[in-house]
Amino acid sequence: MWEIFTRGVVDSWRATLTWAVGLVAAAALYLPLFPSMVGNGQMQQMLNSLPSQLVKTLNYDQLGNGAGYTQSTLFGLLGFLLLSMATIAWGASAVGSDEESGILELTLAHGVTRVQLVAGRALAILARLFLLVLVMYCAVAVLNGPSQLSLNLGTVAGAALGYAGLMALSSAAALLGGALRGRRVHGLMLGAAVSVAGYVFNAVGRQSDSAKWLLNFSPYHWFFGANPFSNGVDWGACIGMWVGTIVLMALAAVVLRARDVGR
Amino acid sequence: MSSSISVDSLHKSFARNEVLHGLSFELPPGSVLGLIGPNGAGKTTTLRCLLDIIRPSSGTLRVLGEDPRHSGPELRRRIGYLPGELILESRVTGRRLLNHFAALSGPVKRGRIEELAERLAVPLDKQVRELSKGNKQKLGLIQAFMHDPELLVLDEPTSGLDPLLQQEFLAMVAEVRNDGRSVLLSSHVLSELQQSADRVAILRAGTIVANASVDELRANAVRKLRVRLEDGQEALDDATRRLSAVPGVDGLRTLPDGQLEASVHDGIRPLLTALAALPVTDVVLEEPDLEEAVLTLYGTNHGNGHPATATGHRTRRLERHARKES
Repeated sequence: MWEIFTRGVVDSWRATLTWAVGLVAAAALYLPLFPSMVGNGQMQQMLNSLPSQLVKTLNYDQLGNGAGYTQSTLFGLLGFLLLSMATIAWGASAVGSDEESGILELTLAHGVTRVQLVAGRALAILARLFLLVLVMYCAVAVLNGPSQLSLNLGTVAGAALGYAGLMALSSAAALLGGALRGRRVHGLMLGAAVSVAGYVFNAVGRQSDSAKWLLNFSPYHWFFGANPFSNGVDWGACIGMWVGTIVLMALAAVVLRARDVGR
Repeated sequence: MSSSISVDSLHKSFARNEVLHGLSFELPPGSVLGLIGPNGAGKTTTLRCLLDIIRPSSGTLRVLGEDPRHSGPELRRRIGYLPGELILESRVTGRRLLNHFAALSGPVKRGRIEELAERLAVPLDKQVRELSKGNKQKLGLIQAFMHDPELLVLDEPTSGLDPLLQQEFLAMVAEVRNDGRSVLLSSHVLSELQQSADRVAILRAGTIVANASVDELRANAVRKLRVRLEDGQEALDDATRRLSAVPGVDGLRTLPDGQLEASVHDGIRPLLTALAALPVTDVVLEEPDLEEAVLTLYGTNHGNGHPATATGHRTRRLERHARKES
């Protein structure tokens, strides 16, 4: 298992690095704008002029302070998009791509069980995810002072852990999708379903009381609904997402163990 | 000593489509068995069952005395496997890939990978996705051979290899056999098996239609006979009469240059007796064409004196047949 894990982390360093650069760029793009956009009240004026539905869809109703700004722009929007793309792609590839290309058959013919294989690959995905979230955290920590965000870095650290759980959940769904039939596209679909549906349910659910029930099915809302970067992470939701991640990953191992590979 | 592989009534269905209909065969230790059949006959499915990559619907499998379904990695470390379709697209180098597999299935003797790479002339420090098809196949062979497994299971091992390296591969197989280890290999080309295999099992549409030693096949094989006689119509008529009475001699005809030609598909002793009584000036009895022998066992008719064209024609027919069934 450790051999599979190590290879999964080491052989993909190029991709990990590229995503890290993208996330740092996103942080560097958004955060320094905070003083000029929000600090002098211009932003609030602009937001007041926008339809409230749009503001809620973009989760821009928290922009008034540094924590809300960081949460809405970096973690909630561009970072969410980038990290979701990365982790869903990794999850879908972990079994799906390898089986499509035929290399999974060869790996499994060697001295490794299918459960070890899935466990090794899943841990590799989580390790890379933690690395990227850590990079984001560091970028935020560095920009905190210069951008006048007044963030409590302890709160942000807790939020980052929950945030990693949110990403891990869609990645685990993608892993399971890829393991079901050995097709990468199934993984992408399942991972994207969790991620996109979560985002859309959150956006729609916040528009009106009659659609509010949708929020219950939105992992995005489970995490962001508590405004974790201001108020601290909702530990129940955080643990829930991590448990969900582990369950989905274990399910992927069970599914792969039970079926024929490579046809 | 028990068999390296023992397969008994192996059935395999995908959804409701049964592709293996009760295969049985044995691979004795220290021997080489070739599995021959057209594409779609079930060769790859059979080999994958042995490695627990796919699971039989029913039947008994024993590989090195163990049940592959329940013996896990410990058993697979004792086997070297080459999949039929080897697609290597990653950015890692060949050396990294081989070290990865060595870490999973090792131990591999120090320097063994380099030794095999040199033998097969494959560059180890290039990214595998940049390698030619032949070089990828060589990496596949190295990962199968490198840990000196007790059993090798090789699916179409020489596809993509040039003739010189095919010879090297045959030498590697011979060394394994001389060590007392066993090899199961598949091919749709008999010619590469007739040099390496002790026995061949012929697979068609999910069943083994024949299982014979290469020597037996050779004995059953159709040979082409050409006889030149002393001049004279009388000698020719006499020879035609006598030869056509010999069992196993078919398609007797006179060539434009006056030679007699026939195909021989039985023992040659009666033929020699008949020839001895004739005023023969020259005899050519060709090396048996095992390809033709297999096609005979597949149930098509005997050679018609033009094995080359006949073989090509029948092979195509068989492939069409197999495609329809798969």
